[in-house]
Amino acid sequence: MAKKKMMKGNMAIAEAALRGGMDIYAGYPITPSTEVMEYLSGRMIDLGRVFIQAESELAAINMVFGAGMMGKRAMTASSGPGMALKQEGMSYMARNNTPAVILNVTRWGTGLGSLNAGQTDYLRDTRGGGEGGYRNIVFAPNSIQEAVDITYDSFEVAEKYQNPVVIMTCANLGQMEEPCSFPEFKTERPTFDWAMDGTGRGIAARQRGEGSIEVVGQHTLDKVNAMIENEQRWETFEVEDAEYVFVAFGLPSRACKDTVKALRAKGEKVGLIRPITIWPFPVKAFAKLGSQVKGFISVEGTNVGQMVEDVALATKKVKTNLPCYLLNHGGNLPTVKQITAFYEGVKAGNIKEVF
Amino acid sequence: MKEMVFSGFGGQGVLTAGLIIADVALAHDMYATWIPSYGAEMRGGKANCVVKVDNEQVGTPSLEEADILMAMNIPSLEFAERVKAGGTILCDSDFVADIPEHRTRNDVEYYFIPFNQIAREIGNARGSNVVAAGVVTALLSDMFDKDTAKDAMLGFFEDKGKGKFAEGNTKAFYAGYDYMKSLLK
Amino acid sequence: MAKNIKAPEALKPHRFCPGCGHGVIARVIMEVIESRGLTNNFILNRGVGCCCNLRSIEVDGLQCSHGRSCASTRAMKLLAPDTCFVTYQGDGDAYVIGLQETLNAAYAKSNITLITVNNSNFGMTGGQMAWTTLPGQITTTSPYGRPVDGPLPIQIPEMIANSFDPAFVARASVQSPAEINKLKKYVEKAIDAQMAGKGFTMIEVLAPCPTNWGLTPEKAIEHVATDMQKYYPLGVFADRT
Repeated sequence: MAKKKMMKGNMAIAEAALRGGMDIYAGYPITPSTEVMEYLSGRMIDLGRVFIQAESELAAINMVFGAGMMGKRAMTASSGPGMALKQEGMSYMARNNTPAVILNVTRWGTGLGSLNAGQTDYLRDTRGGGEGGYRNIVFAPNSIQEAVDITYDSFEVAEKYQNPVVIMTCANLGQMEEPCSFPEFKTERPTFDWAMDGTGRGIAARQRGEGSIEVVGQHTLDKVNAMIENEQRWETFEVEDAEYVFVAFGLPSRACKDTVKALRAKGEKVGLIRPITIWPFPVKAFAKLGSQVKGFISVEGTNVGQMVEDVALATKKVKTNLPCYLLNHGGNLPTVKQITAFYEGVKAGNIKEVF
Repeated sequence: MKEMVFSGFGGQGVLTAGLIIADVALAHDMYATWIPSYGAEMRGGKANCVVKVDNEQVGTPSLEEADILMAMNIPSLEFAERVKAGGTILCDSDFVADIPEHRTRNDVEYYFIPFNQIAREIGNARGSNVVAAGVVTALLSDMFDKDTAKDAMLGFFEDKGKGKFAEGNTKAFYAGYDYMKSLLK
Repeated sequence: MAKNIKAPEALKPHRFCPGCGHGVIARVIMEVIESRGLTNNFILNRGVGCCCNLRSIEVDGLQCSHGRSCASTRAMKLLAPDTCFVTYQGDGDAYVIGLQETLNAAYAKSNITLITVNNSNFGMTGGQMAWTTLPGQITTTSPYGRPVDGPLPIQIPEMIANSFDPAFVARASVQSPAEINKLKKYVEKAIDAQMAGKGFTMIEVLAPCPTNWGLTPEKAIEHVATDMQKYYPLGVFADRT
């Protein structure tokens, strides 16, 4: 690892994807993700790889679809409304067992959204917003270094399950800078017997994607179950004796961790579960909690609660009827003050649970 | 942990000053985050960034309570209420001659610094952001070494392909540093 | 004396309606691909619609999403410049829902071959109006006939030929053996041009749709040869091969 340097999140992810073996990038400009394609437009040419500025988000994702079916490492990036347009293509990819990496540098909001960071894409990206019956693995790093490390290995994850992998950052993580370093360029590349290369060897893979309801359905179920079993990733902080547990992902989780430290200093028994994969949701982290837990607080950059639904489902692994509270901090990062005040309200019984 | 806000008009170099300080922290084996203001207001001419430096990984990168506010114009004083008691507000005296009453704090230190004038006097009229970095380095001289910081500043511009301005930037950095030191005496 | 020509090996029995033009076009394409020795260096991507049925051809190829085949094919070609790529789409797929991707592939001078089958309606969904539907033509979504004072049938080959400097653009028909022979020559030109790296190539093929037109196969062929050609002249519109 080289010495760490300050780098903007969007560019760091782009560089990590290059080093992870990305063969082709196809994308369409959209704030706040655009630096990804700006950065790659030169770097991909320098490295003799393929860069396409596509005519639309639809075209971009379908370019990635084609490339992924050739066994090539393909990536696109976008933001909320652009991701919405990509959903159909991503569903095709899940159906056709296509590996690819899709970066969502989220905005906050509905429709056109806003230029603020937010987590309002949570349910769409974790459930898959295209023609149904599939799931995407969704990584939600909370630092630029973690985003680099996840991106670097994301193609292998996509290839392992032959499925799209989403990396969800946000406007803040995309635009901010912090120190990071990069691993070496990957040189080893797997070959795939399903990859289309024109010789006809891709026919079997094609037929599997186009097979009967039973065959396709069972294959997808097996794939999804394997992802749930193998890919849950999370970080816990001070949960061993925690009575109230915050749940937060991405950049807001760092304010939660600061809050836990501050409250612990005052003797409060609080902890944090930080999902690193928001799908599969880290239910296993909840299963490890003790029976002293009195409630969960989902801290999320939404308006209408989203992750709190997954938190509520996951509490079944602790015990029944644990209250789940929701702190919507909207399109700005939450402050320690704000989270602390909410916690105090919960503890005093002044805030009603959502579930 | 030190938390700083650099705020001013677009073009005053506040974002760059913040980036230099982040690099200065890294040069001291510290950790840093830099986060720009983000949104429509960027295009209206207002710019700001929050820089946090710490010995361990910085938690949330956004503004909680600032130790230092660098206010390069009057609108930047809206951050005055986010400065912690005992903190410092550095004003660009060319743009912030008086503090409006409703922004006045009695529990923080104010310093008025002619960033542009300092830059012009050493013959680097466009170097006021480097002067600003020198000023902040002086203010944090219990954490930052003057020459290590200067080298980090030069490295920052080197990486941007602007290494040829090294001489002027060195002068500007030291001028800002020395000016702040004289105020602190 | 009639020649006994063996069907291309990769071509397997298809599921098109009796009298449909797709089967002939598919065979012509595969004859050209085989004659060039490209069967094992060939990717045939399909749009959504009746062209989905080309899955019976045993070559590599994607079932693309509606309208997006040109986009997928463009990217794949850049990753494998020495492989032959054909994107096979209907008029609804390529000219209506996929108009953007089609024009942009041509605009980008993408070195691929687009074959569009124009039967003046959405065939697979049961015969709805397309932008190719003739004025007065009755479809399931133009029950009183497509308005005669409305938009004219869309002429994409002409547009591309006039605007985007393609390598080869032509319109053919499967109405007669003579026209099918011409179609084959066009496909040869297009594939050869692609393999020589000359740029975007496209052939639109007028084809009968007896099922949705409510005509016998014979009458449907006649309709292609007469009424359709009033709006869709046959011939070569661009050729710098």
